[in-house]
Amino acid sequence: MNKLFSVVLCLFALGQLSAQMNKIEYQEFTLDNGLHVILHQDNSTPIVCVSVMYHVGSKNENPERTGFAHFFEHLLFEGSENIGRGEYDKYVENAGGTLNANTTNDRTYYFEILPSNQLELGLWLESERMLHAKVEQVGVETQREVVKEERRQRIDNQPYGSILQESMKRAFTKHPYRWPVIGSMEHLNAAEEKDYKQFYEDFYVPNNAIVSIAGDIDYDEATVLVSKYFASIPRGIGEVYRPSIVEPPLTSEIRDTIYDNIQLPAVVQTYRTPAAGTPDFYAVSMLSRLLSRGQSSRFYKTLVDEKQVALQAGSFPFDLEDPGVSLAYGIANMGVTPDVVETAMNEEINKVQTELIGEEEFQKLRNQVENDFVSGNARVAGIAESLANYKMYYGDTDLINTELDRYLAVTREDIQRVAKEYFHPDNRVVLHYLPKTENP
Amino acid sequence: MKQNICIIFILFLVASIGCNKTASDGLQDKAVDVTEATAADIQSKIEKSKHLWRSNPPASAPARSISIGDYASFDLDNGLKVIVVENHKLPRVSYQLSLINNPIQEKDQAGFVSIAGQLLKTGTTSKSKAEIDAAIDFIGANINTFGRGAFGSGLKKHQDQLLSLMTEILYQPSFEQAEFDKIKTQTLSGLSTTKTDPNAMAENVASVLTYGKDHPYGEVENEATVTNITLDQCKKYYDTYFKPNNAYLVVVGDITPEEAKTTVQKYFGAWKSQDVPTHNYKVPASPEGAKVSFVNKDAAVQSVIRITYPVDLTTGDDGIMAAMVMNNILGGGIFSGRLMQNLREDKAFTYGARSNLSPDRLVGNFNAFASVRNEVTDSSVNEFLFELNRLRDEPISAEDLSLVKNSMSGSFARSLESPQTIARFALNTFRYNLPKDYYNTYLERLESVTIEDVQAAAQKFIRPDNAYIVVAGSKDDVAEKLVRFDSDGVIDYYDAFGNKVEVSDNPIPEGITAETVIADYINAIGGKEMLMKVKTMQQMASMDLMGQQASIDMKQKDNKMFALKIAMSGMTVQEQVFDGTKLKMGGMQGTQVLTEGKEFDAMKYEAQIFPQMSYSSEGYKLDLKGIESIDGKSVYKVVVTNPSGDSETQYYDQQSSLLVRAIETQEAQGQTMSVTSDYSDYQEVSGIKVPYTVTVSGAMPMPMVMKASEVKINADIPAAAFSVE
Repeated sequence: MNKLFSVVLCLFALGQLSAQMNKIEYQEFTLDNGLHVILHQDNSTPIVCVSVMYHVGSKNENPERTGFAHFFEHLLFEGSENIGRGEYDKYVENAGGTLNANTTNDRTYYFEILPSNQLELGLWLESERMLHAKVEQVGVETQREVVKEERRQRIDNQPYGSILQESMKRAFTKHPYRWPVIGSMEHLNAAEEKDYKQFYEDFYVPNNAIVSIAGDIDYDEATVLVSKYFASIPRGIGEVYRPSIVEPPLTSEIRDTIYDNIQLPAVVQTYRTPAAGTPDFYAVSMLSRLLSRGQSSRFYKTLVDEKQVALQAGSFPFDLEDPGVSLAYGIANMGVTPDVVETAMNEEINKVQTELIGEEEFQKLRNQVENDFVSGNARVAGIAESLANYKMYYGDTDLINTELDRYLAVTREDIQRVAKEYFHPDNRVVLHYLPKTENP
Repeated sequence: MKQNICIIFILFLVASIGCNKTASDGLQDKAVDVTEATAADIQSKIEKSKHLWRSNPPASAPARSISIGDYASFDLDNGLKVIVVENHKLPRVSYQLSLINNPIQEKDQAGFVSIAGQLLKTGTTSKSKAEIDAAIDFIGANINTFGRGAFGSGLKKHQDQLLSLMTEILYQPSFEQAEFDKIKTQTLSGLSTTKTDPNAMAENVASVLTYGKDHPYGEVENEATVTNITLDQCKKYYDTYFKPNNAYLVVVGDITPEEAKTTVQKYFGAWKSQDVPTHNYKVPASPEGAKVSFVNKDAAVQSVIRITYPVDLTTGDDGIMAAMVMNNILGGGIFSGRLMQNLREDKAFTYGARSNLSPDRLVGNFNAFASVRNEVTDSSVNEFLFELNRLRDEPISAEDLSLVKNSMSGSFARSLESPQTIARFALNTFRYNLPKDYYNTYLERLESVTIEDVQAAAQKFIRPDNAYIVVAGSKDDVAEKLVRFDSDGVIDYYDAFGNKVEVSDNPIPEGITAETVIADYINAIGGKEMLMKVKTMQQMASMDLMGQQASIDMKQKDNKMFALKIAMSGMTVQEQVFDGTKLKMGGMQGTQVLTEGKEFDAMKYEAQIFPQMSYSSEGYKLDLKGIESIDGKSVYKVVVTNPSGDSETQYYDQQSSLLVRAIETQEAQGQTMSVTSDYSDYQEVSGIKVPYTVTVSGAMPMPMVMKASEVKINADIPAAAFSVE
């Protein structure tokens, strides 16, 4: 077997650790067909998470066929040459496992959590999906309706459910981040068999995927098994499409009003911010924490607690592969207008821009980051996904142990600088959400 | 050996197929065409042979034994029961405190237990809320307080700071009035979102129906009950129930039992014990028949369906394992559940359909649920009932049973990854007096469940004929088609908080029209002749506005002039003066004069002393919608649209003919609200009936009650009172 592929084993030496961090150890290698494999051994509970992350999300879609990546996530549970329709779930559940998948703008992630003696079953299932998934027309029809229900449940029938969709389509005019992951129902209706086939052949190939396995395994045994199931899957033909579209900067503020089935108005500011993994992203992320992590955060303390203009207020960056956005939002208290909430939000942002934050508050942010980072690796399923994420987005699996250093490299001055640079009015979309009854 | 050769052969062919594909883009199209059939044949044969070894799923490796982590437990002298689960995977530690007593009834102050819990964290005798928040955030920790306990977690290295804070919060809460008012306002704001959240609506109605008003689980907080809550009530609750002898403390994480003992003694040892009252409740009965209960959400695109009823099931019961297996076959955690397979995978009615069977010390419940699109709401209910009946009537297959057993044992194994699971097992063992090895024998008990056991459980716990079928959705699109599922053929309607809404289908008596309703009203308050003689009217009233008295002075003259002044502690907080051509609006934010616009137009109607007198004039539209019920009295519902196109819904008492309610859409501070005014306590002034109490709800978080102190008719009002200048 060894002749058919070359295993590049990278057993990483202990890196620099923060005081208390329990290091996550792992091995990784790349098969000849381009499939990258990451293994993490933890024998404390007899379970294993088998996962495959495909580097395809809504941003890789044809603008005329939006929603495809997510639709595929549904279709690829339908079966394969060797797995009948509806049997995929049964195999997993019969083995005492659980399975799910999710799709973002940048990637699609499938996983099974199984009793560890069923590792090989997980590999078989995932390799079937990668090698020769099979989708019958009845499956396409059914899943199309299921996706529509998903859309209704998550977006249309959900108060404030359309925030992301409405914000992104204004924040981006060229880059594919402008359309929602769930996509257009018209596009899904218009899709034909050749569209599915093409999408599958373009993106569901080993050289566009990472297999990540964490849990009660033996490194050597797992290496042999992964190779058995995945090494013979042919590499994809040609280059995988990655959009190189660069979104031009916003030049002035975009404002709009959305009438929704809600009772309390809301203000949503969407700021264009750098891609995940860049130094400024970490600074923006610290800025968001300053504004909204915990009840002593600036938004909460001022808007919710002291002025009582908002029921809820927050800010968070999206960790997107291409330059993306950070959201700041406030849901108005009863009888408070969105203008009042927005003014209060702006005052807080303005304060960060004009006054350097104090040493103590800065230390608080660092303590919070450390706590979040340390707490992040409590389960093998989370570890499998993080390992794959770090490799796929940043090409550096070891960030699972070292990313904290990037946060801790951010200075107080950096936070003030990114507040000025990115959180300024010309770089944002502002939406006021108002009750439908108020629509003139 | 054979396999190796085969793989090499395949690799070679795969490469050449790849070549063909690339070449077909260019010049060799024709050549490819010629060989297409053969190539396809070969390809398909190769595909098949290449993957023959894949055609069956691999066998499982020998199973590893499952071991449940151990825990230690001890009591403090003050009665606090402590459970310690040691786990050094992450350098973290958590402390969870849970009260033991049965939940209490909150009655007309529903919501106070939760507010009391939230209040704990908002101030101690030596720290303000801001200081507490800053201290917690500084160490990156979490501390939360609830109505029935508290939770703190953080990095082990910050354990001492964490526990000093957590115990200070527990022992010395200051119960500040200002923080209380704040939480109350936030709770009321939060409740308003319930009105648009179909899941919350359905859940509220399900709770009220399943447990009834005499059970703590059947109490739903609403605007009225939250408004009623007092700080004193919260304090009393804390003083009565937050006692060490009424609590478990569960310690989980990077700590040894020995260290935990010292630490817990240090921080919790001085907490004083005190007797705590106990409460017991009757077990709520199942409904007689199937009852369809509907919550309207206008313009909803999906319906939330919940089929639910109470069950008698507690952790540790003999039949609980079979009952859990049965529920999993129907729609528990697994994707292969019958509800999911039927409603999602087969019919595509929904994104997900599931069921829960929840054991509980007081009373458990069964609940099957999904969000489905409007058009298939009735079909979905039908499929739910079909699956419930099928489970009762037909024995399950051996295959189904084994699938669910495997799934449940896997799920059990997965849950053991979290030390919190071990803590929960330990806590249950104490709370339910379970045998010490209860969870160690879990898998054996699961394995012993038979097909017959499952069917017996289904017959005991699945009762589609005695169930509440709660649907939250668009009444106009959905409700009528659900009648067939109701045993007595009548759908009950509820509001978002589980209060019954009367939708009477009393026919409108012969000869009654909107016009006669209005004419009867005019007669009832004094008659047309009398009303025409009224030139001026002045009403003085008072109301309670967030703890302060406000006085209201309203004057009207000649049906075209209007003056309103609201004052608090002698200061005018709002003023409107309309002289017929100009409108002055003033208040604490300054004064402006309007001669046009929405507010100006509305004033023309406000100035009318008896607006009903104009309804017969041109431009008005009256529409008698039917008979409804308010507080048990039948009322006529009339929609009045004025010449500007604004409409108001009015309700006239069928007996007295008096106006009892008006609902209009108002704009205030940029927000549109539906404002309800209830009129009562009609008293006679100069031969004309005037409502002395007006309750306005919907405009402010709390209803405003205006009580008239004096009403003057045809008193001389100086012109200056209506001067805009």
